[in-house]
Amino acid sequence: MSTKDFVTGMDSNARKAPRRVAFITRRTSAQVKAVDEETLQTFPEVLFRAAVAIEVMAIGLVTMALLFNAPLEGIADPSHTPNPAKAPWYFLGLQEMLHYFPPVVAGVLVPGLVVMALVVIPYFNINIEAEGLFLKDRERRLRIFYIVTGALVLFLVVFRVFVALVPTLIVAAFMILAAQSSPQSPSAFRRYLASKPLSYWIMSWFLFELVVLTAIGTFFRGPGWSWVWPWRS
Amino acid sequence: MQSSNQPWSSLWKTLFGDPLRAFGIVSAILLVLLAIAPAKNHFSEWRHYQKGYLRMVRSRGEAVTLQRHFQPGIQQIWHPDIGVTDRCTSCHVGLKEASLTDVKFQPYRKHPVIPHTTEQYGCVMCHRGQGAATTVEEAHSSTLAWEQPILPARYIESGCGQCHRANLEGTPQLNQGRALLARYGCVQCHSIKLPDAGVMQATQDAPSLSHIADKTTREWIFAWLKDPQSYAASATMPNFKLKDDDIRDISAFLIANSNPVAGDTLPPISQKAADSTAGASLYGESFCASCHAVQNAAGNLVGGNVGPELTRIGNKTKPEWLRAWIHNPRVYDPGTQMPHYRFSDQQVATMEGFLLAKSDSDFLANVHLDPATPEQIAHGKSLVMEYGCSSCHEITGIKKPENFAPELTRIGSKSISQLIFLPGMSHTLPDYIAGKIRQPRAFSPGLKMPQYSFTLTQIDALTTALLAQNDRAQSMPPSLSVPAPQTSHYRPAGKAGQIMSDLACFSCHAINGRGGDMAPDLTWEGSSVQRKWLEDFFRNPGTLRPALIRRMPKFNLSNEEISTLSDYIMTVYQTPEFDRESLPESGYSATQVEEGKQLFYSKYGCQSCHIVDAKSDKGYIGPTLTGVGSRLTAAWVYHWLKNPQALRPGTVEPNRNMSDDEAKSLTAFLMAQKGSGTKEAKK
Amino acid sequence: MAKTVDQYFDDLRDTRVWRSIFRSGTGSSTLKRSLAIQQNVFLHLFATKVRRRMLSFSATWYLGTLTLGTFLMLVVTGILLMLYYHPSVPQAYADTKDLQFVVSSGLFLRNLHRWSAHAMVFLVFAHMFKVFYRGAYRPPREFNWVIGIVLLLVTLLLSYTGYLLPWDQLAYWAITVGSNIASAVPVFGDKIHFMLLGGNLVNANALLRFYVLHCMILPLAAIFFIAIHFWRIRKDGGLYAHQSEPSTLTKTTLAKEAQ
Repeated sequence: MSTKDFVTGMDSNARKAPRRVAFITRRTSAQVKAVDEETLQTFPEVLFRAAVAIEVMAIGLVTMALLFNAPLEGIADPSHTPNPAKAPWYFLGLQEMLHYFPPVVAGVLVPGLVVMALVVIPYFNINIEAEGLFLKDRERRLRIFYIVTGALVLFLVVFRVFVALVPTLIVAAFMILAAQSSPQSPSAFRRYLASKPLSYWIMSWFLFELVVLTAIGTFFRGPGWSWVWPWRS
Repeated sequence: MQSSNQPWSSLWKTLFGDPLRAFGIVSAILLVLLAIAPAKNHFSEWRHYQKGYLRMVRSRGEAVTLQRHFQPGIQQIWHPDIGVTDRCTSCHVGLKEASLTDVKFQPYRKHPVIPHTTEQYGCVMCHRGQGAATTVEEAHSSTLAWEQPILPARYIESGCGQCHRANLEGTPQLNQGRALLARYGCVQCHSIKLPDAGVMQATQDAPSLSHIADKTTREWIFAWLKDPQSYAASATMPNFKLKDDDIRDISAFLIANSNPVAGDTLPPISQKAADSTAGASLYGESFCASCHAVQNAAGNLVGGNVGPELTRIGNKTKPEWLRAWIHNPRVYDPGTQMPHYRFSDQQVATMEGFLLAKSDSDFLANVHLDPATPEQIAHGKSLVMEYGCSSCHEITGIKKPENFAPELTRIGSKSISQLIFLPGMSHTLPDYIAGKIRQPRAFSPGLKMPQYSFTLTQIDALTTALLAQNDRAQSMPPSLSVPAPQTSHYRPAGKAGQIMSDLACFSCHAINGRGGDMAPDLTWEGSSVQRKWLEDFFRNPGTLRPALIRRMPKFNLSNEEISTLSDYIMTVYQTPEFDRESLPESGYSATQVEEGKQLFYSKYGCQSCHIVDAKSDKGYIGPTLTGVGSRLTAAWVYHWLKNPQALRPGTVEPNRNMSDDEAKSLTAFLMAQKGSGTKEAKK
Repeated sequence: MAKTVDQYFDDLRDTRVWRSIFRSGTGSSTLKRSLAIQQNVFLHLFATKVRRRMLSFSATWYLGTLTLGTFLMLVVTGILLMLYYHPSVPQAYADTKDLQFVVSSGLFLRNLHRWSAHAMVFLVFAHMFKVFYRGAYRPPREFNWVIGIVLLLVTLLLSYTGYLLPWDQLAYWAITVGSNIASAVPVFGDKIHFMLLGGNLVNANALLRFYVLHCMILPLAAIFFIAIHFWRIRKDGGLYAHQSEPSTLTKTTLAKEAQ
């Protein structure tokens, strides 16, 4: 089917989308099957919606820029170290970890592994089947779960990383709840938990740790990286 | 969009139903918001103040001139080499307008007259604050991004001290502060480096403690250390707030550590004790009060502050030491500023009796010390080292500590965040410095810095001087730095030099840049006076100036000493400007003398400051001229009349721009005044 | 009959000049609208059509769009800020101060740049988690997920390099703390640290290096990867929809067949 034929054979204002014939082989991806989904023209529908979304955000940011000044301190002075010297907020989780672990672990190994893990997520068929973690082979998986969680908790206790321990325990508690739930559970929340795969739990744990460590680094750390209460300053 | 309210729902649909329309409306809102930023810029503070200035100016008489001088927009004084970017003049518009001195409110008042223009060095150089800022808050206050707020006006002289190392006439507070730093031993513990690679030197050397047992008792040391000011209100030594046991041990160590000086004590002189009137008159005749102060009955200190206060000297010194000291102070302390009066034995006994009577019977009444144990002495030694006593005092066996206290070279730009303030104290650098000087131990009981008894004025002066020690002063380009005059180490040579150092001439007189300012500069004395008068003066120093209380004491010099000194002065201390023999000392014609008299009394009115005829003239500002003809050389008088400042820079005598003939006639008249002065001197 | 606004617009689009610039011509037919996307060098990165479901807010929270929005705002404000900035010590700090004190709306520009930068970092993270929880990284979108991770790192580096530029205490010590982490890398730590800063300490060299990275290298990298990122959305079958998950797809197909 040449392009030229395609164009000439089509009414420029066709009501219906042209019908496509797809040959489904083993190697074709599954998406082509969903052809009869209702669609919209990108121009103007999507573009203008996107533009409106961006503008609404811009309004928010412009308002913020008008009301709040960006921080600026005294000129850089290598001879005078402020206490505490803090990295940008998105690295404070990392800096918090540096407080507990040697730099080679917290500064290189952990972020390196996180990036590696993120990159390989789609290649290891993680979450492809999206089955609830404990729906199949429950006993064995629960045993593995207890061993891994126990080792992690022990590790965090040995290094006295209690700020990371708390989110770990909370996520573990939810996972145990999930293990006790089934898709037939009367509670919608428990049905939801039961349907979540392993990757969901790991990512949620990571997100939770990230948020907690960043928040602690940002708000709860004072001189000498000691614990301070932000409302008692 | 779900809305229970029908009209609202339809309005929403009208506005945002169509993405295109929603885009238009949201874009409009965004554009309006974006327009706020330039609008905010338009209503900036500096524009507000410039408009206010124009409004204020309009109602004034000189409006046209002021409006013509006015320049709109942000103004800037920019000197990148000294780090000045000052936009203060954007709001302080009328700084240079001479007519705006009467303006009540800032920022429009005229700047007071100072030796520099605002363009020369900008504003923050002296006033601090953030010169680049264009808002009131940012320019004047301390913010997160700028630490140094505007300096309170009472410390403003510190700005001058950043460039000027020498004393300035216009900065009495700064001069006082620097003098105090040097005098009160601040610079003995704290090193203050000067931009020209030197270090601020102490001007007062605390007495050596190596031979203290000769001079005083352990009890006195105890009472003194407990509270130096209770012994002498004007004592330089600060209070270290020591515990009684510590003082006991320190006094034990100092006495034990002392070694005697050969010949510095004299057995009692077998003279009958003179009555106290004789002592008082000898004390007066010797002009001891020029240097030493004594508290009078009203509690006021009377006398100079070169030597120690003598109010309770009888409590302090051992009689045999005092005797020897009066006889010749240079035996005990070769470097003392006290002259070696050649007192007779009778005079020594009289003076000793007079001084020993100056005591307070209660002063040592409560001090009872048991004999010292070796442990106490050892502990005393460790305390002496801990408190850095040898920073100021010479103590046998203990070296002067290096870097004993923090360096203060850049204290004036110390970062606030590095300071620890007392609760309730305002967080500014001047307040910190002043607070630290006022009550050092309040900041931490463990601090070693002692408690001084400075007055508030002195504290302000010290703070001013310390604020001048800052980064800017250290990094000032050499072209702008005005160094202090080089300290002269002039020492006269030979036998005359020995006599002069024995008499401590330099304690009062300056010669070739070295010496005190209590008495006249003698650098060109040889050109100025006649030899006969000089010799007479040594024999019996009268005063030239009736208004002065301080006079040259009588040293009881031998004829040989007088002739040695006079020879030396007449030959060495000559000005290169003229020859002292160039004009005759007598033999002027009567007409010339009469003409000079006319000039003296009529044209120049010299009698308003000087006295020639003791009966009618009432001038007490300048020296009495009744005997000037036998005191000064004619050449000196002539050149003095022509240009007094050339011979003695800074003298009060005005330069009247006389013609040569007038100067000659006046010289003739003055050289004729020989009579009474000589007589007086011979009395 | 008076012409409507649309007709005026059509007239404009029919002029020779307009036609010489935009090739798609007049009319709002589906074809013309498709051509408007296809024939535009920027817009052709996008698909001409999008599933209606994907436009609902809950589907994407518009996080990718908003991230692009912050990036555009950062480019605009950043270029304006570059006009007033010298990457030298101590001029950099003075320039930052002057933005506040003398540049018209300079403080606003800097504020907007700063807050947009923070927003972008936040949105990039949010976008990543949203994509993960929706499972939108699944084949054939694996590579686009990897591009996304690269963009996350580029964004962090952009923010990090920009952090130093005001040359204030906050910047200096944040960068000192951050760059010291690089020293912890085994064997090459110090070399990497030296290369990052152009010296052993954060100094004028580091400022220049960060400036070049922040204003030239990293934005170009970002634009490059953003282009691929968008293009891959189209190539990988448009925005990911839940129905294409194997389990739900069966349902849809069954429903269709039932019809």
